[in-house]
Amino acid sequence: MRGAGNPIVVARRVTRDYWKGRARVRALRGADLTVEKGDFLAVTGPSGSGKSTLLHLLGGVDVATSGGVHFLGRDLARLTVEERAALRLREVGLVFQRFHLLPMLTAIENVELPLAAARVGRRERRARAAAVLERVGLADRLRHRPSELSGGQCQRVAIARALANDPALVLADEPTGELDRATSRRVLALFQELNADGTTLVVATHDLDLAAGAHRRIEVVDGTTRP
Amino acid sequence: MAVLARNSIRELRHRPLRTALTVAGVAISTAMLADMLMLGGGIQQSFGELLESRGYELRVAPKGTLPFDTEATIPGWTALQERIEGVGGVERVAPVLAMSVSVEVEADGPEGSRGARRTLAVGLDPENRGLYVLVRGDGPGAGEVLVDSRLGEAMGVGPDDRLRVATASGFDAWGRTASVRVSGTGDFVFATVRDMPVALPLDDLQALSGLDDQVSFAMIRVGDGYDAEAVRAGIAAVAGRVEVVTLAGISDRLDERLSYFRQVAVILGSVSLFVAALLIGTITAVSVSERLGIIAAVRAIGVGRRRIVADLTLESVVLCLVGGGIGIGLAVVVAGYLESILSGLPGLPAAVRFFVLRPGSLMTAYGLVILSGAVAGLVPSLRATRLEVTSLLHREEP
Ligand SMILES: Nc1ncnc2c1ncn2[C@@H]1O[C@H](COP(=O)(O)OP(=O)(O)O)[C@@H](O)[C@H]1O
Ligand SMILES: [Mg+2]
Repeated sequence: MRGAGNPIVVARRVTRDYWKGRARVRALRGADLTVEKGDFLAVTGPSGSGKSTLLHLLGGVDVATSGGVHFLGRDLARLTVEERAALRLREVGLVFQRFHLLPMLTAIENVELPLAAARVGRRERRARAAAVLERVGLADRLRHRPSELSGGQCQRVAIARALANDPALVLADEPTGELDRATSRRVLALFQELNADGTTLVVATHDLDLAAGAHRRIEVVDGTTRP
Repeated sequence: MAVLARNSIRELRHRPLRTALTVAGVAISTAMLADMLMLGGGIQQSFGELLESRGYELRVAPKGTLPFDTEATIPGWTALQERIEGVGGVERVAPVLAMSVSVEVEADGPEGSRGARRTLAVGLDPENRGLYVLVRGDGPGAGEVLVDSRLGEAMGVGPDDRLRVATASGFDAWGRTASVRVSGTGDFVFATVRDMPVALPLDDLQALSGLDDQVSFAMIRVGDGYDAEAVRAGIAAVAGRVEVVTLAGISDRLDERLSYFRQVAVILGSVSLFVAALLIGTITAVSVSERLGIIAAVRAIGVGRRRIVADLTLESVVLCLVGGGIGIGLAVVVAGYLESILSGLPGLPAAVRFFVLRPGSLMTAYGLVILSGAVAGLVPSLRATRLEVTSLLHREEP
């Protein structure tokens, strides 16, 4: 048992099966994990071991086949699709390997997206989006579109988008997978900075530098977690 | 939502060629649909106006025809008119002979003709003023012609000027020509915007055309207190080989004939609507599948499914709004062009219009196109947001 922590998400013996036609793919076979407030956790493991699946279950993007995931005390299995979407919008920030920014929107508009979806008024969301972009070091790139930004800058816009609604948890899946080493290091530095300011982070990664920079590390092998 | 919608609109601008082609396709479909809607109604409306020549409840026409339907005539009219007038309840009989003629201003000098115009001539009993409203001068007496007021303006003639009128064969050596005095100008009740008829006394037009004692049709006024249908039956009993119909009967028969026209118009209109929907559906399906990764990410972030669907559908609605708007303008132009071709069809009076520009039809076409575009855009959008987010994200991984 963890100490007198403040768990944000607790996963207990979670499994997740996918069906490819009649064939069952057991992406997770029983993973256990607790993420405390203020954690900076790296999830490592070989490709196909179930890292992404685990992140999706932690953030309520997906639902476990068996076992339980409690997010801020709520059993995710009991929420409807819409309730989980609303929970993710406000409490979970997602960062993807391929950024997935809207190509036709400027940096600030991309960051405004989750704020607008959460019904934050126009003026406030402008101000908040600008503030978050400033925090990730892009104050001078507000009106640039993703095509006018470098990969590292795009990922920082994506991180800003994940932070926009001030979530309880940020989940990043291979955030440096498309970036060169120098840029990856800057992303790690940004994560450390954010974590120092209180952001709780779980990062799935192959990147050993990134994993080494986290506070804590677990490994997923064949769908099970190892400390 | 404003932010997502902005992305959609910019996506359209980002692909100008695709957007332009789609808009063009929607515009053409809308124009086709609108014209088909107007085609059905146009003929009926212009006939309706034709029939409204005030106060005459019955028509006598050659067997199997409608007034102005063909160039058929009723021979032996004088005797027939006497028999009709003998029927109880007949208050007034107004025979009309209609045909194409050429008119030109009679030139005094050696410069000769100033250009002949083809138009519709109606020969009528000088007492019968039910077909026109006088603007200047007087109705046509013997050796006189009443000219449509716009025709008079166009030709620069008014009361006391002289015109030459020729039967359709024209002003060649063999044509029959008459020199007549303009008695006045008037507005014809059955005339449409484009045709500008002239009226002559029935005897004069019969003599000019050689159709002695023949008429195209006759209008009959029923006396107060008589039942039009009973009078119609009475006339039919004495009239022999002619058609006697009430206005209501004409309307019904017209309806019957036009129903074929309308069916064709409905089918063609539906086909073009369907084509527009297919086009929008295809384009939306393509652009949605190009954006599956983004859609998955936006859903993963927690943006509601309904918002995403609404936003993707907005894109197709915008295409339809723009394309449909252009299509409405195109419909007006094409209707005018088709009208000019169709009104030249032989055997049809100039008074018949095929297209009546009705805002209702245009708006209906516009609305239908937008609606079908919205539905067609909705289908691929809904499908995209029903796919599982995790498998989309998994597929997007390198
Ligand atoms: N949506 C899916 N449908 C089918 N199989 C999947 C899906 N997502 C993941 N998998 C499979 O589950 C296993 C674990 O995948 P994943 O969690 O993406 O691993 P990792 O992120 O560690 O590479 C893999 O074998 C993968 O092919
Ligand atoms: Mg993965």
